[in-house]
Amino acid sequence: MTSSAVTTVIAEPRSGTGFLPRAEFQHLIDLLAEDGRTVIGPTVSDGAIVYGEVRAVTDLPVGVGAEQSPGRYRLVDHHDARYFAYAVGPTSWKRFVFPPTLELAQSHRDEQGHVSFGPVRHEIPKMAFLGVRACELAALGIEDRVLLGGPYTDEDFRRRRDNALIVAVQCAEPGGTCFCTSMGTGPGVRGGHDVLLVELADGFLVSSGSEEGAAIVARLGLADATADQVVEGSDQLVAARDRIGDPVVTAGLHDRLLAKLDSPRWAEIAERCLACTNCTAACPTCFCTSVSQRSDLDGHTAVTERRWDFCFTKGFSAVALGGNFRPRVQDRYRQWLTHKFATWIDQFGTSGCVGCGRCITWCPVGIDVREELNLIAPPPVLGTEAQAAAARAPRTSVFHVDAVRPETHDTVTLTLSTPDGMDWSRLHGEFVMVSAPAIGSIPISISRRLPTGMELTVRAVGPASTFVTGLERGAEVGLSAPLGHGWPVEAAHDHDVVIVGGGMGFPPLRPVVDEILAHRASFGDVHVYHGARTPGDLLYKEELAAWASRGDLEVGVTVDRADATWLGRVGVVTQLFDHARWDGTKAIAFVCGPERMIQATVSTLAARGITQDRIFISMERHMECGVGLCGHCQMGPFFVCKDGPVFSLAQLGDVFGREGI
Amino acid sequence: MPETEGSTARTEHDAEFVALLNATWFGANLPPEAQVRLVGLARRYQAPAGTTLLTEGQLANEIGIVLSGRVSLRTLVPEQGWVTILTVEPGDIFGQSALVPPYRSTSTVVALQPVDVLALDGPGLRAALAADHDLAAVLYPRVLQALARRLNATRLQMLDLFAR
Amino acid sequence: MVRATSTPRPRLGVVKLASCDGCQLMLLNLEDALLSVAERIDIVEFPEATSHRSSGPYDVVLVEGAVSTPEQLETIHAVRREAKVLVTIGACATAGGIQAMRNWANHDAFRAAVYAHPEYVESLATAQPVSDYVKVDGELRGCPINGDQLLEFVTALLTGRRANLPDEAVCAACKRAGRVCVMVSQGIPCLGPVTMTGCGALCPGFDRGCYGCFGPREQANAASLGRQFVAMGEAPAEAGRLFAGFTGYAPPFRDVITEFGGAPGVPAGHAPSPASTGTPSGGK
Repeated sequence: MTSSAVTTVIAEPRSGTGFLPRAEFQHLIDLLAEDGRTVIGPTVSDGAIVYGEVRAVTDLPVGVGAEQSPGRYRLVDHHDARYFAYAVGPTSWKRFVFPPTLELAQSHRDEQGHVSFGPVRHEIPKMAFLGVRACELAALGIEDRVLLGGPYTDEDFRRRRDNALIVAVQCAEPGGTCFCTSMGTGPGVRGGHDVLLVELADGFLVSSGSEEGAAIVARLGLADATADQVVEGSDQLVAARDRIGDPVVTAGLHDRLLAKLDSPRWAEIAERCLACTNCTAACPTCFCTSVSQRSDLDGHTAVTERRWDFCFTKGFSAVALGGNFRPRVQDRYRQWLTHKFATWIDQFGTSGCVGCGRCITWCPVGIDVREELNLIAPPPVLGTEAQAAAARAPRTSVFHVDAVRPETHDTVTLTLSTPDGMDWSRLHGEFVMVSAPAIGSIPISISRRLPTGMELTVRAVGPASTFVTGLERGAEVGLSAPLGHGWPVEAAHDHDVVIVGGGMGFPPLRPVVDEILAHRASFGDVHVYHGARTPGDLLYKEELAAWASRGDLEVGVTVDRADATWLGRVGVVTQLFDHARWDGTKAIAFVCGPERMIQATVSTLAARGITQDRIFISMERHMECGVGLCGHCQMGPFFVCKDGPVFSLAQLGDVFGREGI
Repeated sequence: MPETEGSTARTEHDAEFVALLNATWFGANLPPEAQVRLVGLARRYQAPAGTTLLTEGQLANEIGIVLSGRVSLRTLVPEQGWVTILTVEPGDIFGQSALVPPYRSTSTVVALQPVDVLALDGPGLRAALAADHDLAAVLYPRVLQALARRLNATRLQMLDLFAR
Repeated sequence: MVRATSTPRPRLGVVKLASCDGCQLMLLNLEDALLSVAERIDIVEFPEATSHRSSGPYDVVLVEGAVSTPEQLETIHAVRREAKVLVTIGACATAGGIQAMRNWANHDAFRAAVYAHPEYVESLATAQPVSDYVKVDGELRGCPINGDQLLEFVTALLTGRRANLPDEAVCAACKRAGRVCVMVSQGIPCLGPVTMTGCGALCPGFDRGCYGCFGPREQANAASLGRQFVAMGEAPAEAGRLFAGFTGYAPPFRDVITEFGGAPGVPAGHAPSPASTGTPSGGK
């Protein structure tokens, strides 16, 4: 670092903000150009403000700005002395750290047929980037993540990045296609720079963001900026932010967008999209490339050359024998947009978009991603209160207790109905919220679906469940509509089915057995296993006996401990089938019970050949609101109440069984 | 029922016992030589429900393979009476204490249903295992599997998962 | 073993149909490289370079020019029979070229207007690209073709690899070269987005719009670009006329001309279909 020698001679390294009068700006350019740096910055060329070599203030776009709108860019004259009163133009810094074409390697084949290969190491010039905006700093950060963040890295890019000093200039003049505010990248610079300039009417606020930058700022020998000057700078930034607004609602955009892979809008965009690649070429983060060989006529000396390539080109997704994974323009547009705004996040932990607006301005037919995102994946609408309540709130209906059947000493099954005329058995959902005034609400799984209501099997554990188990025939209680994702019984059609319910995990599975028995011919062999703590804790004893006597399903029951009067099985529930003769490769399993019991069960099921995508389990969490709004039942990326409670093991991945999640 | 292993099963009695062995997970698919050794040490008996087959603390003279019916492994707990720890289902074994010093049963084994048992003579089996390493090599893994399964189950039972 | 010494030199022919010879000139313009090429290839037929006439069979034949006369029709069928690989070069051979403009007009009236004795001029009713008559194995586009692409084609042929002739928009090369889009920044209509690359984005580099001499790229959305020209202020027929250049007879451009008007030689407001849009069986 050149800075260390310099900083030592400064008595007090300045951490504040200095003021550089406009008349002395050339001094900064000259300082940047010392140490052999090529200063690259904004300059007017070919009807646009592009990045090129800057030697003097006169190379800068003095008093020049640009109007930008979808598909349109025009230089305008501000009639003032400002150098940086423009929004980003067609060039991005990508060109200087990630060249459009680059020789990667050379290879040779001599007359004897011996071959050799060698990398090409380029001379990397020392550069200073002058006029880097906040969105562009964010773009460089994203490129760092993409090209340097993985196990394999682009060393040419790293060396160019290392060789570039960054002089950021705060944005004061956003363009008509900017949306950095939505992407959270600007307009204010928040790091990644060596030096930061804020252009005021008479000069520049100057501060540093790195040691190297501090050394340069120190050599400018600036007076401190006045409070008024600092305020002028921050006012500009606030005004810039206000001008941009917040055109794209990014909250939840990842999921909203990926849920719309089948949107008809993709085909509509393809009617307009030229697949010309201008958006990707202008994009400061698009990083796709192709390599090709260039050789002499005999193929003795060849160069491997990398060039920017673009997912909009048909050849980019072509494979041997004429195949193509994205044959239509609508496929390619979808790939680009969903990668940029959604799957990029999965890959790199950040959006691929910085909101610079280049893809909008430089699209020859003016396709506006801000508009397309809002059309394809509209954000949630804030409708009227009445609309929202009707559409979304889990309405509480009053149910009557028609019957109370004791199951065990602490568990009862309630039969509940409501005279609203709705066929409740047709409503999807796994559980309901049961409410009582002054008691509160608790989630309880449906243990039988009935046209007029349902059965709920409840065990007295806490005050609310004790209250519910104490309800008598004729009592009233509040029930929400069925909530959550239930058991995918349809997925088990034509399969063998293994149902394992441990303790109070058995009631949620009872509707599965009901459903299977109602369409018995649609399923293969069916095995129902129920484990309980003691014989006295077994649920639905008569029903289990009735099912066992049908002859078309196997019923296994076991308890953990028993006295001498119990003639049934004693042992854990997995022992009911760990030596069973059925073939797991044709089976789908539904498992519910305490989490540790589920773990033991799924490992036994896996040993019997049932794959993770065919094992469905119900997860338990504190479910309070029941609709994914309160956050209590958060489990990794899931809300158990909304996304579950039933999940496949494959869906849960390593969330299942992870300590403390 | 599986076919008998004609050339190695010399008598009809042996052939019948080999067939019985093959119908249990514990005895199925052992090498014919091993099966012949085992049936040479075996007797078969039936007992009505309620019969005590082994008593905790007493010498375990036989390893039983349950052919049909259910037996319970019990232990007497003060103030709780007899507590069933585990039931043994057809195909599984009880009385494996006959292989482990001091050869005394760790629980009381009672038939819960009428049972049909193939019993292997304890001292004879120990001698055979000590003398015939081929037999030991195939039989001990089965015994270990039975024990490991029981150990794992016991561990889960200890957790008392359904208590809350 | 190195292949060049063990394999006989490939026999290359250059065949000319209705054309200006500009593409053949590009071959001669390779200069230094041409000598090296000539050392490795037997150029057995090359009318622009030598009056010597050979005949097939050819390993590769480069065909320049459109099929415009009955005689050319016979020639192309004969050449096809003699050629292992037939490659069309230039806008005339690949798209019909400038002479295909007559396909929109009354052929007999044209002939009568131009020639004193039209009865001596024997020509087909339409000028067609070679691929309308015979199977074509490869194309080098452009008016004229690009020397670098030609050399790349020959190098790939000699070294046995696939030629790097990407089918992408002129824009891709234009942006790699760092040019500013003339359409967005200056409002100049440019066919770059729908035109196949290969020229190195020559015209936009001189502040001009691309006029499509390399012809339509894959899946060229010429209709959308035409609509954009209209949105930028062009009259529809004028927007259509922008596509009616050297490669205007190539289907995506031809369709836009039909849709927007602007057919060559036809007053604005009249938009007849070209004389033949299918594969003709021959002239009358």
